[in-house]
Amino acid sequence: MWIQLKKFAVQINALRRILITFAIVSGLLLNAKVSWAANEEVFSPVSGNPVAPKLKLHDMDGKPVDLEKLKGKVVIVNFWATWCPPCRAEMPSLQRLWEKLGASKIQIVAVNVGEDADTVLGFMGTLDESPTFPIVFDKDSATLRAWPVRGLPTTFLIDKKGHIAYRAIGGRHFDSPENIRFITEQSEGSSMGK
Amino acid sequence: MALAKLQLITIAVLGFVSTSTMADDGGSKIQHLVDPQTSIESWVLHDEGVEVELIQISPDQARGFFLARGFDRKNADFYAASCVLALRVRNKSPETISYDLVNWRYTAADGVKRRLKLKDKWLREWQQRGVSKSAQIAFEWSQHPSTQTLEPNDWNQGMTTYQVAHGSVLDLTVEWSKGDKRYVDTIKEVRCAD
Repeated sequence: MWIQLKKFAVQINALRRILITFAIVSGLLLNAKVSWAANEEVFSPVSGNPVAPKLKLHDMDGKPVDLEKLKGKVVIVNFWATWCPPCRAEMPSLQRLWEKLGASKIQIVAVNVGEDADTVLGFMGTLDESPTFPIVFDKDSATLRAWPVRGLPTTFLIDKKGHIAYRAIGGRHFDSPENIRFITEQSEGSSMGK
Repeated sequence: MALAKLQLITIAVLGFVSTSTMADDGGSKIQHLVDPQTSIESWVLHDEGVEVELIQISPDQARGFFLARGFDRKNADFYAASCVLALRVRNKSPETISYDLVNWRYTAADGVKRRLKLKDKWLREWQQRGVSKSAQIAFEWSQHPSTQTLEPNDWNQGMTTYQVAHGSVLDLTVEWSKGDKRYVDTIKEVRCAD
């Protein structure tokens, strides 16, 4: 009986070691994934820095937003739709970026594609914090077609001279420390642009 | 006896956590995943820092999505009659990649190689079938772009369609280029949702 109990204890210990190893490996894998996400660079440079196409649309209150009038500031232009899962997922991080840097450093303009104010308001209601930067409506997608966009979401960083300096395709964590540092550098750089 | 029970529980837990299987085909790896909650299956190809993922979309999900975006029942059914898979391409490599879905082929049980029905062809059909402009805009941007260029960390997702029966299996041959090099891989035994 005593020998059987001893064997049982040894087996339990072996099993415990396997489980602990599994837990550590899983933790390492998860951490590896998290650290990759934290180190990701949000934007890629756009070769040639083309002049940003025209963007003059109305926000929810009917107020016009004109990219041309935002020259002198770094502008983040985000094309999105409520039915696009990565667009929904990244919206809170855009708001956090906006809160951290503020209107004195950057301007964010989120261009909703093909939807109406009621649909967008419905989505805003699901967020912990509604965006306070302008959301403008491109109902017929005419503005979107003038920009180099093939899929949603696509986000551009427009330099102070109104040129497309950087681009990101797919959802991002816009408020990562790396990105905040990067955008701050852009906004504090020369008034000649990037 | 107690140990045997504990071992069984452990195996069951590990089985629940590890819901994926991995196939190695030369330099590339294909992972098959099953969501334990929804039973939705997905396949992820990993090759040289590029990930190509296919995720099942059921006919009900496809129908519901387009009914909510201005399609009438007849046209939503018409779309949902196809096998619909969400396609997500992610560039985790340090170089630019590009691809054109025109070059991708799939093979079903009959062994015939087919081209994907791309969004331009669908859009022509929606025009002929009198689908509203706003519904066409939602459709256009919900489909995977026919051509795309992804910088490092970029990713894009969207729906793709295959003219095979729900529940059937297909092999998809995908192609992309990175620098001067062309990559071709086949994701085998992708099952359409039913």
